[in-house]
Amino acid sequence: MTEPKKLSKKTDAAIEALKRQRLRWVTGISQVGVKIDERKYHETVDRIMKDEIERQMIIGAIRDGGPLTIRELSQATDIPPNQILRHVIALRKVGEISEAGEKGDEYLYTIP
Amino acid sequence: MTEAEFEPTIVAFCCNWCAYAGADLAGTSRFEYPPNVRIIRVMCSGRIDPTFVLSALRWGADGVLIAGCHPGDCHYVKGNYMMERRLNFMKNLLGYLGIEPARLRLEWVSAGEGGKFAALIRDMTMEIRNLGPSPFKKMQSA
Repeated sequence: MTEPKKLSKKTDAAIEALKRQRLRWVTGISQVGVKIDERKYHETVDRIMKDEIERQMIIGAIRDGGPLTIRELSQATDIPPNQILRHVIALRKVGEISEAGEKGDEYLYTIP
Repeated sequence: MTEAEFEPTIVAFCCNWCAYAGADLAGTSRFEYPPNVRIIRVMCSGRIDPTFVLSALRWGADGVLIAGCHPGDCHYVKGNYMMERRLNFMKNLLGYLGIEPARLRLEWVSAGEGGKFAALIRDMTMEIRNLGPSPFKKMQSA
């Protein structure tokens, strides 16, 4: 994927991620009155931001060319396979993606 | 587009109660500032959703200015504090995406600070001009 295309995909994924409840909870109105250590707050927000964007990139890659294996998802998104696996487990848990057979010795993932 | 021709586009989200009135005062007082800014009135700087900033940059802005009431002056008591807290996150987000965080700026402008508003627009236009076109614009012209 070329650099400009990557930036557009990543930004679109960020816009989608920012519309989701998880990021809205930490950046939005619900933070009023919550006592939280400033440093820990920024670390948490940073980690959630990166996770949400990467998950939207995975969903986008499956939507564009799925079903895909973890290795293929890693190639399509430039995210290391171990990270992909972590996201795939989380996305499967909430039903955003599901297994769609096997390719070689790997599972294929699709959007249900 | 050559660097010499580059005129930045700045989207300014201005709070209805302070900065928007400040911008209005700049106009009625005939303070000069560059025509590079597109002002969008919002009811409070706390209303600025991070998606507004990203969408503005994504669809052609080279810089985004958020102008709200001075600390302690918020019409809704703590909207500007909420915005200030969100700013750090938004700057980190831009850095993570590969967009210069300096393209986003938060400033406090009261309804009586027409001169400050004009000076701010002049300063920010210069700053964004030095930064060059946004990565999205570079992409379009490539």
